Amino acid sequence: MSDLASRSAAPSGADRAAGARRGWRPWRLLARLNGPQTLGRGPAFWGGFVIVCMLVGIYPLFSDGWTVGNTAYFFTWTFMAMGLCVIWGYAGALSFGQTAFFGLSGYAYGVLTLNIGSAYGFTFLALAIGVGMSALLALLLGYFLFYGRISGVFLGIVTLSVTLVFETFMAQTAGPEWTIGSARLNGFNGMTGMPPLTLPWFDGELVLWPDIPLYYLLMGMVIVCYLALRIFVNSRFGNVLVAIRENPDRAETLGYDIRRYQLGAFIVGSSLAGLSGVLYTAWGQYITPNSMGLYAAALPIVWVAVGGRSDLTATLIGTLAVLWVFQTLTIYGSQYALVVMGALLLVTVLFAPRGLVLGLVDLAGWASGRLRRNGPASGQEDA
Amino acid sequence: MLEGLFAFLFQFGDAFAFLVLSASGLAIIFGMMGVINLAHGEFIMCGAYVTVTAAQAGLPLPLAIACGSLAAGIIGIILERAIINRLFNRPLDTIVATWGISLIATQGTLILLGSTMPGVGTPLGSFSVGDYSFSEYRVVLMAIAVLLMGGLYLLFHRTRYGILARATIQVPHMASALGVNTKVVHSLTFGLGAAMAGLAGGLYAPTMTLVPTMGTAFIVESFVTVVVGGADVFLGTAPAALILAFIKSGMTGLYGQLFGLIGLLLTVIVVIRIMPRGLSGWLLRGRE
Amino acid sequence: MAILETRALEKNFGGVFVARAINFEMQPGEIHCLIGPNGAGKSSFFRLILGQHQPSAGTIWFDGQEITPLKSFQRIRLGISVKFQVPGIFKALSVWQNLEIGLQYHMQGDSLSAEIRQVLDFIELTDQATERAGNLSHGQQQWLEIGMAMSVKPKLLLLDEPTAGMSPQETAKTGEMVRTLNAEGMSILAVEHDMTFVRQIAQQVTVLHFGEIFAQGTIDQIVADERVAKIYLGKTNEA
Repeated sequence: MSDLASRSAAPSGADRAAGARRGWRPWRLLARLNGPQTLGRGPAFWGGFVIVCMLVGIYPLFSDGWTVGNTAYFFTWTFMAMGLCVIWGYAGALSFGQTAFFGLSGYAYGVLTLNIGSAYGFTFLALAIGVGMSALLALLLGYFLFYGRISGVFLGIVTLSVTLVFETFMAQTAGPEWTIGSARLNGFNGMTGMPPLTLPWFDGELVLWPDIPLYYLLMGMVIVCYLALRIFVNSRFGNVLVAIRENPDRAETLGYDIRRYQLGAFIVGSSLAGLSGVLYTAWGQYITPNSMGLYAAALPIVWVAVGGRSDLTATLIGTLAVLWVFQTLTIYGSQYALVVMGALLLVTVLFAPRGLVLGLVDLAGWASGRLRRNGPASGQEDA
Repeated sequence: MLEGLFAFLFQFGDAFAFLVLSASGLAIIFGMMGVINLAHGEFIMCGAYVTVTAAQAGLPLPLAIACGSLAAGIIGIILERAIINRLFNRPLDTIVATWGISLIATQGTLILLGSTMPGVGTPLGSFSVGDYSFSEYRVVLMAIAVLLMGGLYLLFHRTRYGILARATIQVPHMASALGVNTKVVHSLTFGLGAAMAGLAGGLYAPTMTLVPTMGTAFIVESFVTVVVGGADVFLGTAPAALILAFIKSGMTGLYGQLFGLIGLLLTVIVVIRIMPRGLSGWLLRGRE
Repeated sequence: MAILETRALEKNFGGVFVARAINFEMQPGEIHCLIGPNGAGKSSFFRLILGQHQPSAGTIWFDGQEITPLKSFQRIRLGISVKFQVPGIFKALSVWQNLEIGLQYHMQGDSLSAEIRQVLDFIELTDQATERAGNLSHGQQQWLEIGMAMSVKPKLLLLDEPTAGMSPQETAKTGEMVRTLNAEGMSILAVEHDMTFVRQIAQQVTVLHFGEIFAQGTIDQIVADERVAKIYLGKTNEA
């Protein structure tokens, strides 16, 4: 502590730039895969991770294309769930309107590809534009919300209102005057007929119908997104996000402009909701206003709350589990599915507030006499 | 010219009545308990269903509406006792839980009562001003909206319950130290909010198709009113309803229904940027 | 040039003044204590300096610069740091991470870890580095927050009741910490009730009463002032 007052409180821009250059080392980024904000570390966890990836990878060999295509459908939703996990679980801001971004990007993909087609890999450009539109909407909306210092419950209501107004708007576009180029918005029945994602391939084009190639593409995207988000939430940015969630006043009096961080998390999470929207639209070649309605908006909340909002892994597992249960229920008695969803939400909130997956992890940790979360803080190893 | 003005005033009054009636229940529960009740629309639906059932059983409509309101209120108290009070001071979890209730209620109604229910016709007749014809029942609704605000004011400022309820939100520990049973106050307040929602459902039941999802027709408007109004029912909800009704009826008159809704949403987003705690927070600023 | 100065600073809430015409000045390198009965406006004064309240009138100057229009985080970045009355730590996070969040704005990589270790050593929490901050004893939580506040090496450190809830030994140790920091050049402004502690650290004392500056001087002058004794010290000295 000898040079206690020798450094000015705010380092000059040049200092910080130099610091940032020193910090830019890829292996340092990879070290952020583990950290205090994510459950699971060490050989056991990553070994298990690799095994799970391999099992998911060889599964199509033991099934048929149609079933595998349906399983790929589950993957399309996980991005929205992981995005909400970042906004709600890590940044502490509950958005009810993620489906607004889902719908916006989905419709954008539809309008673009119906007008321009799928040649030269344009569908992937349309994907990027669709996601970009969500990012832009999140920037605009988030500016008003976070720079207006909107607190928890109001944030939920405003975002919910946004998605419901979007739904109302799209539902009344049935008339022939509602066309963009050659794409008819088609009101309540929704838009159909857009091409699936299409890759330029050696002999012509690889059209990714809901089948095995699409399954592998989506699986890869889920893994990349999951790992990237682990790095994101364990980064300096993620550190500040959880600080804001825990105690916003304290975070601000450490010199952080908390509005910028919340806005950043909102944009990341909402872009992921947009990605889900594009993938969903491309998967089934249709999108309807219903996907922005009250029930659609409730679903991401269910997945994330039931899985465990404060952890990415728990959210991912929870989302896939709930989707699977939901689909099974729909097959055996569709009308009860929503009742079960509602009951699941109530049970989770009342009896396992941290989520069912995290609840099980806690239970296992308690049973084996230690909680993994309270293990050595990783800051020391990978800082 | 005068006819057009009257038509606009009628639209304005109609929008105002709708906003006040549909938002007051939500506003009471939010203002008094800090709880956002996402099952608000389902309390409205409950009020409407009970009202229509009672009316078809032969009860006169005003009495049937009272039944609807009462039923929603009782269910509200039960849910508060069973669930909401366990989530005290966990506002986000309360939202999630009330959403769970909402899903169960909507889908449960669909399963039990089917996708629609025969309604009752709109009572009273119509009158005309110039070439326009207006529903008399709508005028009654406007009067009820005004009376309701007056009634709630008296309830919260003149009755023992109201004074205890306000004491409970302003200085909770003091209220409980003085022997106020804050749990009972919370239950009654939630019940009152639910009953107000039920009342809105009952009043609008004759004008709407009865479907399990009918609550969603109210929910955006009532949320928007509460967000713009802030936590105080009298200094918030009422003036917010006036402003929003003006915007909504103006935009609807000029550009159609959808733009009325979009106008509302834009107003909300701008208002929260300027006054994060709503109109009442702005009116009461400095009195922290 | 004063490190902190307020000119005719006022704040009222619907007619109730929590700060009235406060002309306060504090020199660099000083340890200054703010005392006064409950409700005297001490915490409100801190909030005004930090920008958590906007003043109704008057200006605030820090290190020669007017900071009245600046937002909270902007003032912090100029070199102000604070330890709140109710421990303002991130209870769900580890001790290490608490310090990391405070410091990562200023440095990263190996120097960050080295600095965190130094701070841990200073606040004597090295063994608790991986502990959840919420599991620490009350005194340790206070130290952790002092550690977070001082680690960024502010020019001015604000301490709101740093010894609240501490044992006499812990209080004495906190006093030593404050003096060490001051010896290395940090200006310190503390709100404190414990007169033993004030005597241990303070060079200058300001007494607030009903939102106004009631008396100012060295600790001996203040203790000798009968008017002050009447409103405040009488009880506390005996306690």
